[in-house]
Amino acid sequence: MKSVTNILLWLIALVIAMGCALLLPINGYLMNLLMQASTYAIAVLGMTVVLGYTGQINIAQAAFFGIGAYAVAIGTTTLGLAFFAALLLGAVVALLFGIVLGGSTLKLGGHYLAMVTISFQEILTLVLTNWIGVSHGPDGISNIPRPHLGFLALDQSQHYLALCLFCLFVTAGLVAWLKSSRLGLSMQAVRDNELAAGVAGIDTYRIKIIAFAASACLGGIGGGLFAGAFRYISPDQFAFDDSVVLLTMALLGGVDAAIGAVIGTALLILLPEWLRFLKQFYLAVYGLAVILIMVFMPQGIFGYFARLVRRAPDLPRGEFAPLALGADTGAGLPILEVSDLSKHFGGLRAVDAVDLVIIGGSVHALIGPNGSGKTTTLNLLSGIYRPTSGNIRLGGRDVTGLAPHLLAAAGIGRTFQNIRLFHSLTSFENVLIGSFRAGSGLDAAARRERAMAALDFVGMAARAHDQVASLPYGHQRLVEIARALAANPSLLLLDEPAAGLNLTEKQNLVALLRRLRGHGLTILLIEHDMDLVEQVSDRISVLNFGRRIADGTPSEVLRHPDVVAAYLGEVAEDAAA
Amino acid sequence: MAIILQLLFTGLGIGAVYALVALGFVLIYRATNVVNFAQGQFAMLGGYCMVITTVDLGLPYWLGIIISLVVMALFGAIFNLGVYYPLRHRSFLPVVISTIGASILITNLVLAIYGPEPTTLPGMTDYPGISFGAVFLDAQYLVIIATTLALVLLQYVFFEHTMIGKKMQAVSQDKEMASLLGINVTGMIMLTFTYSAVLGGIAGILVAPILFVSVGLGAQIALKAFAASIIGGFGDVPGAIVGGLLIGVAETLGAFYISVPYKDAFAFVLLFAFLLIRPQGIFGEKIAQKA
Amino acid sequence: MDKRAIGGAGGRVRGPRAGLKKRAWLGAIAALLIASPGIAPAWADDAAPIEIGMVTPLTGAAAESGRYAEWGAEMAVAEVNAAGGVLGRPLKLVIEDDQTTNPGVVSAFNRLANDSAIVAFLGSIRSTQVHAMDPDVRRIAKPVFFGGTDPNLTHAGDPWLFRCRPNDTYSAKVIASFGVQTLNLKKWALVTSTDAFGSSGARLLTAELQALGASVVTAQGYANQTPDFTPVVLAVKGSGAEVIGSYFTFEQDLAIFARQLRQLGVRSPWVGSPSITDTAALHLAGPALYGTYGVADFNADSSPEAKAYAEAYQKLHKAPADQFSAWTYDAIKIAALAMTTAKSTDPAAFRTAILAIRGYKGTEGTYDFDANGDGLHGYNVVQNKSGKLVFVKRVDFPAP
Repeated sequence: MKSVTNILLWLIALVIAMGCALLLPINGYLMNLLMQASTYAIAVLGMTVVLGYTGQINIAQAAFFGIGAYAVAIGTTTLGLAFFAALLLGAVVALLFGIVLGGSTLKLGGHYLAMVTISFQEILTLVLTNWIGVSHGPDGISNIPRPHLGFLALDQSQHYLALCLFCLFVTAGLVAWLKSSRLGLSMQAVRDNELAAGVAGIDTYRIKIIAFAASACLGGIGGGLFAGAFRYISPDQFAFDDSVVLLTMALLGGVDAAIGAVIGTALLILLPEWLRFLKQFYLAVYGLAVILIMVFMPQGIFGYFARLVRRAPDLPRGEFAPLALGADTGAGLPILEVSDLSKHFGGLRAVDAVDLVIIGGSVHALIGPNGSGKTTTLNLLSGIYRPTSGNIRLGGRDVTGLAPHLLAAAGIGRTFQNIRLFHSLTSFENVLIGSFRAGSGLDAAARRERAMAALDFVGMAARAHDQVASLPYGHQRLVEIARALAANPSLLLLDEPAAGLNLTEKQNLVALLRRLRGHGLTILLIEHDMDLVEQVSDRISVLNFGRRIADGTPSEVLRHPDVVAAYLGEVAEDAAA
Repeated sequence: MAIILQLLFTGLGIGAVYALVALGFVLIYRATNVVNFAQGQFAMLGGYCMVITTVDLGLPYWLGIIISLVVMALFGAIFNLGVYYPLRHRSFLPVVISTIGASILITNLVLAIYGPEPTTLPGMTDYPGISFGAVFLDAQYLVIIATTLALVLLQYVFFEHTMIGKKMQAVSQDKEMASLLGINVTGMIMLTFTYSAVLGGIAGILVAPILFVSVGLGAQIALKAFAASIIGGFGDVPGAIVGGLLIGVAETLGAFYISVPYKDAFAFVLLFAFLLIRPQGIFGEKIAQKA
Repeated sequence: MDKRAIGGAGGRVRGPRAGLKKRAWLGAIAALLIASPGIAPAWADDAAPIEIGMVTPLTGAAAESGRYAEWGAEMAVAEVNAAGGVLGRPLKLVIEDDQTTNPGVVSAFNRLANDSAIVAFLGSIRSTQVHAMDPDVRRIAKPVFFGGTDPNLTHAGDPWLFRCRPNDTYSAKVIASFGVQTLNLKKWALVTSTDAFGSSGARLLTAELQALGASVVTAQGYANQTPDFTPVVLAVKGSGAEVIGSYFTFEQDLAIFARQLRQLGVRSPWVGSPSITDTAALHLAGPALYGTYGVADFNADSSPEAKAYAEAYQKLHKAPADQFSAWTYDAIKIAALAMTTAKSTDPAAFRTAILAIRGYKGTEGTYDFDANGDGLHGYNVVQNKSGKLVFVKRVDFPAP
């Protein structure tokens, strides 16, 4: 329902905007501002995807914009291509540059990515300035032709503006739609918590490259249209400062919404014009305005107002099938076989030649004093670390050293000791991302149902629409477990699920773990709470100083002299501390 | 040989300027995890302070330096209060944009008040420099290199051997832990901005006699300085110094032996190379350890 | 092509002394007062002023020269109005800031063009900006006077562009002919900016030198705002050049290069594009430029008209006149003259009257408009003698 209304509103706005562009008398001054704003906004929408959705900084958007502009300019004037062919060429070239640049550096992230993009920006400016044979150098390229398209005589500015607005609306619509799509949610998961995204089955590197390439491509399209709009381009229009302007536009308007990109672009183009009456002080006031907006509206202008309006719930309604679990678990057979597993950090043997066998359908606890290597073992099993040596087999298949998202696809789900949720998303969206697990073979509607079922299973269906950041700690744990369940894992790794829970919550957790076991799910549990361990575990393995010192049923293990010694030692240390 | 020595010398001189500005970047980054895009404008302001005090008001050079540095310290404090402090709990992007806004504000305020004409600032010494055969060592570059070395030493002593320096380090490593230990985190960050502004001011004062004083002073250096701090491993003080010198030498040699028009590209090519040849390296493990 | 051609850099020409700014501001205010129509009532009270739009950099890299341009135009407006205005109406200048950027100039120009009362425009001294304005200039179809020196601007079929400075073919011709024929030096080192102005200058100068039988032994392009010129200087030094020809855009770059050139012991003669004669360059580089030659479109000693203008300018603004203000001064005078002969502000008649101007003695030289809209066809050669520019000779070429 909601999406239909949105599409209708979008269509109406598109028709009105294009009608205004074609029919209203627009003077040259306003025309220039509108053309600049509409073409810039397309590039800024790219920033929305890469920075807003995916959280990757890009300070080279003006370079991609320039690539698009030069493709159109060189394509139409030198190569004799048709305008739209040149525009396509620009989009593709920008896309390719985005893939190459992103592919080579997106593993770094953060400030490094910022610097690499700045470098690309600077080098491109130098090339455009000095490669005179192709780019015409600093003279720039003039008399860029505009296309003909059916009844639209695009060499008329108003018709061309209509084309720009059409492209802007389509782009903005796509970017807005992207946000709630599978790809868009994956991007936001990467932004909110890259580690958890990987463990939830998302190929984070691939998602980042897609986001970067899409952003570059939108930059190219915006730039191509810009070249046609102004019919003259030169290298100084696509310099570092312009990338900063594009970045600022995205952040000012509200970086994680398509509409924010449009607002930010319009504002930053209009603001200096409005402030002209201040004469020589106007750019100073503009700088001040940027600071003030960031101080008082750090989410950007749209973000600021969006907070005041709650999104209407858009959840699966009515009956949904109860959660199916443990589909491919062979009860009674070993599901996970770990042999001789080691992880060394420099000289530190965090995990040292550990063997571990987990039987399908059982709850297996991994205990040990602090620093004994429990969490490191979980990180090895979920692919966050690569083992130094050793072997991991899941359901008979060698999965040693696979990346987190591949292990997730193979059937390993996990939660974290310090909860790792996608904090800007709702409970439902968090769990929905869990259901994306590659190979789960569900269509979109079935995934949504499964997500709701998983939430319902942990008793959180009523909070499905709440932002997870606003949930109490205990509820966040449950959502995290639901996210792992939604992927229908064959083995669930739980890292201290009882940590920080009160007594009632612990009792609920015990009940939940028993129900999971009742559904045939295999669980590997790290826990400090020995009561809980005794209540739910079928088998226990004990680690100390990275080595496995005991393995067996709870009654055997907890009486094992080495275990007692290890724990007494710890108790003594705790007392001393 | 004379040519190589000459290129090396100027490369080191200009590299020392990058290094000084990079130092300011690194300190603020370590304290706040934020890249201060107005660091270049700090240098520009330092240059203008010197022109106002020594040229316009005719004060002695040493007094001009003292007044300029005091003004820069005050400015750093104001900058912290106005640009960083209100956003201290936000993610790094709003703060970055805020510093970009500040750089626009500072540049254009200076432009509006002081006018756009570049002006000259006499060097620290009337002595033009030393000639060794065909090699000429510009006195101002010698001063710059010496000051940079002295500051690095001083800074080392300050951070490793004074209480307040250790507190500042503690804040840069873990704010929560530092505040649990009773360290005044806000005060330390204020101090960091103050010191970074002074560092920027020193860079401006030193470089003004060579590059002249105009609103553009600083902006042209800041980007290379930023690259230097990345090459050095962001947040690493000796790294930033080495990075700055490396860029200075690389672009001077590159310009002579390869291409003058592409001179500005060498810093960034170097940066690419560093990021690709030393992947993961320092930061690769960092992500994983958060699990 | 660039305005900066002239001077510079981004606009930072600065007066010889730091204390000058305040007085300069007062001067600007005084000029505004004089220019305002209320003071010289040589026309009926109800005579609407004839508006001339002007885009000029008030902010951004070239803000400095933008102010000079404004002063020059205002002086001319004040003089025209004091002499009775045009067609019985006062002239009025309407100014918009172009921010020294291309999008800025397009936006500023369009803002002005919306005012249908404006009959003519003063465009930019930067060629890239004029290129950027060009499509709109054709659309608006009213005369636009400009100072960019890229020869192509008047050769691309836009009938509404009129240049009030000599274009770069003439600066290259004059540098080459003076160096080769007067100084008799044949082995040249070229040092040029890689921006639009510098690269076209390099191209034209190379062609002129070859035509005169001289050789270019090294050509060094540098990117603007370079903090260090050691590699360029060493290349020049090692090339065995007898003379240096240069197209610098920014005065700082010029001054840094000049100083390092002298520090590293290069003493060869140097003939530079107009930026070498800028007030700012003279101030920044000081003794490093002593003895150099430059071509200058404006020089106070080149003609009685230039002298009179320079004296009036000096009196009003307490600063030496330069080409930034001289061309806008001439442009206003030419516009007034053309409207007077056309007896109309109608664009077509206006245009015909401009193109018919022959032998008008302006401050920048004698204007003979050719069919392309180029008004001037020569340059002055000057020499820097201990910081003072001394007029050497005027070199004019016949209009094509």
